Amino acid sequence: MKAIAVIDRDLRRFRRNPVIIAMSVIMPIVYLIILGNSFQGKIKGIPLAVVNYDSGQYARRLMENLRAVEAGPRTFFIVNLNDQKAAVNGVREGRYKGALIIPPDFSKRIILTTRPELGLFTDNTDAISSGALNEAVSGALREIKSGYTPIRENPSEVYLRGEDLYRKVDYDQSLVPGVVIMAIFMGTMITGVFNLVMDRFLGVDESYLLTPLTKGDIVTGLVVSGLFITTLLALMVFVLGVLITGIPLSGGIGQCGAIFMVIVLTTLGLLSMMFIFLGRANHPRIVGIFSGFMNVILFFPSGAVYPIASFPGWLKTFARINPEAYAVDALKALIFKGVRFHAIIGDIAFLTLFTLITMTIAIMTFKRTL
Amino acid sequence: MTEKPLAIEVSNLTKRFGALTAVDNVSFNVSSGEFFGFLGPNGAGKTTLIRMLTTLLRPTEGRAVVASHDVEKEPGAVRYSIGVVPQAMTSDLDLTGWENMDIYGRFYGIPKKQRRERIAYLLETVGLSARAHDLVATYSGGMRRRLEIARVLVHRPAILFLDEPTLGLDPQSRRVVWEFIQKSRGEDSLTIFLTTHYMDEAEALCDRVAIIDYGRIIAIGSPDELKAQVPGNDIIILTTKGIPPDTEARIKVIPYVHNVKIEGDVIRVYVDKGAQNVADLIEKVKIIGVSIEAVEIHRQSLEDVFIHYTGRSIREEEAKKVSFLVGAGVPSKLR
Ligand SMILES: Nc1ncnc2c1ncn2[C@@H]1O[C@H](COP(=O)(O)OP(=O)(O)OP(=O)(O)O)[C@@H](O)[C@H]1O
Ligand SMILES: [Mg+2]
Repeated sequence: MKAIAVIDRDLRRFRRNPVIIAMSVIMPIVYLIILGNSFQGKIKGIPLAVVNYDSGQYARRLMENLRAVEAGPRTFFIVNLNDQKAAVNGVREGRYKGALIIPPDFSKRIILTTRPELGLFTDNTDAISSGALNEAVSGALREIKSGYTPIRENPSEVYLRGEDLYRKVDYDQSLVPGVVIMAIFMGTMITGVFNLVMDRFLGVDESYLLTPLTKGDIVTGLVVSGLFITTLLALMVFVLGVLITGIPLSGGIGQCGAIFMVIVLTTLGLLSMMFIFLGRANHPRIVGIFSGFMNVILFFPSGAVYPIASFPGWLKTFARINPEAYAVDALKALIFKGVRFHAIIGDIAFLTLFTLITMTIAIMTFKRTL
Repeated sequence: MTEKPLAIEVSNLTKRFGALTAVDNVSFNVSSGEFFGFLGPNGAGKTTLIRMLTTLLRPTEGRAVVASHDVEKEPGAVRYSIGVVPQAMTSDLDLTGWENMDIYGRFYGIPKKQRRERIAYLLETVGLSARAHDLVATYSGGMRRRLEIARVLVHRPAILFLDEPTLGLDPQSRRVVWEFIQKSRGEDSLTIFLTTHYMDEAEALCDRVAIIDYGRIIAIGSPDELKAQVPGNDIIILTTKGIPPDTEARIKVIPYVHNVKIEGDVIRVYVDKGAQNVADLIEKVKIIGVSIEAVEIHRQSLEDVFIHYTGRSIREEEAKKVSFLVGAGVPSKLR
């Protein structure tokens, strides 16, 4: 098989440029560390200014609940102020993310049931903090109401007992599948069709277009050498990710084999897809721009960071043809749910089909002349 | 002209790039075992022609048969029979010389043992055995060129295409490359198709030369035949400080003068017996009112043939901006 010579040529050249490989491992890992620590899945430590003008029992109750949040989930920490204006200005100036004003007649109005009100001024330019504050304060408020309202008047109040189906997954652990997919993506951008574009740019492609190599030899050769390198990269990133975030892998050989298979299939699919898009590009810059674009297009709607269920309809449709979405789904299932082959069969089927179709188109559309 | 079988048959071959006609209705044949040269200035269409003959570009019109296979209908068969050294250097810098050759041999499906022997032999012939296991990035331009020529001989092609093989090499490296080309030719009775814009190269190496300009063949024949087409065996070149209007006509009437060409301040006079007649010519030219700065006599060359047909010379300053991609080791003294 002449394609093996194509693979050999490509791999030898790669081996002599180890810096690229090292960078491709380090970058996703740094991403994992930074994203894993910058956003914990839950918001913590937002500064909240509280001005309490009421000395009644409900205001005291509310303050107790707020302090419980401060001590427990730590969504916010309380800064007690005694001037409403100073508190609101503090929010405007960015010292606090929100100001909670408890008016003097708060308790009285609860007793008289004449629309008791609290004022919560939030910095709504920071949607995440302001949303979290709203939720946390509402929660504190609901509890004082339920505590002091007779049960029969509020039948909807039901105690919710949370039950996790799977072992607890930390936020940074939940990023590992996405980071592995990112490593695969990067690998496919520095191998495969990129090497062809680079050869074309350097004028070196002429030397092998002049030989009896067929389109199939050239395309499969480059895809397979890209597969070797990318799989190696992705496995290194996976192992490092597991070690750094401390994911317990208890599924043994079966689990690891299935993970390996998902990585291989995803890599093949992406490599052949890139060949279709970039098979005729003649400048590495085109690959650079295109890869930046594709990374966003494929990665964010993949479910690696945000749940696909929360996407609007059209984006959900896109996720249905996004190979990275299937890869993330399969890896999440394999890594966190300990699920074996049968549960990911749909993902595997899609990725296989995707690879076959893209590979065929890539070979067909490859131009064997200059 | 020979009874040998034809290695290359080209009829009415044309290549257009949009409005530009790079190769314009070209026809010629190359016999098996012949060393054929294509001589022409930059942009004449040499590379475009080679690319059509070697299956890299599809002709717009016309037909080419290389090693008995039509280049458009059976490109695969053509590729097995030819070895091509493109104009730009194409060896892989991050592979060793040996690896470059070995991988090339594998592209042709040559068995390992045969490959190994052939590569060792070829590297020895081009004088690269000692550097075989060094990265090509560490080679000089001349070494890299020799490697590339050796590389396309691994599969013993019947026809070797060389697109300006000595481009950008210093005179000494050029000579080494020439020697190697001649040597490989003798051994395998190769047909060689070479393009160049160096007159001396075409003259020194080729059995037959086609002169190409603006995509058209303007003359074809052996170097001697071509030179014979230009009357006057010697050329006296007079560099002057200005030429009066009727100079050309007045020199032409001198008995031993065959032809006169004026280019700027330079007068080229095609004469018989240049050495004997030069003193007389200078005298007569002075009388016409031309003041002479320098005189030079030289024997007819292909350059003169080119000038004879086009009225221009292939200027050295026109010579190559060698692509910056030719890689490490190319002498940087190129203009
Ligand atoms: N791919 C292309 N697209 C458009 N024009 C082209 C292309 N390739 C060549 N040409 C044009 O065709 C003409 C012939 O080019 P070609 O490279 O064949 O000349 P050449 O004789 O090899 O010149 P040189 O001695 O500089 O290598 C030039 O005018 C060139 O600009
Ligand atoms: Mg050229």
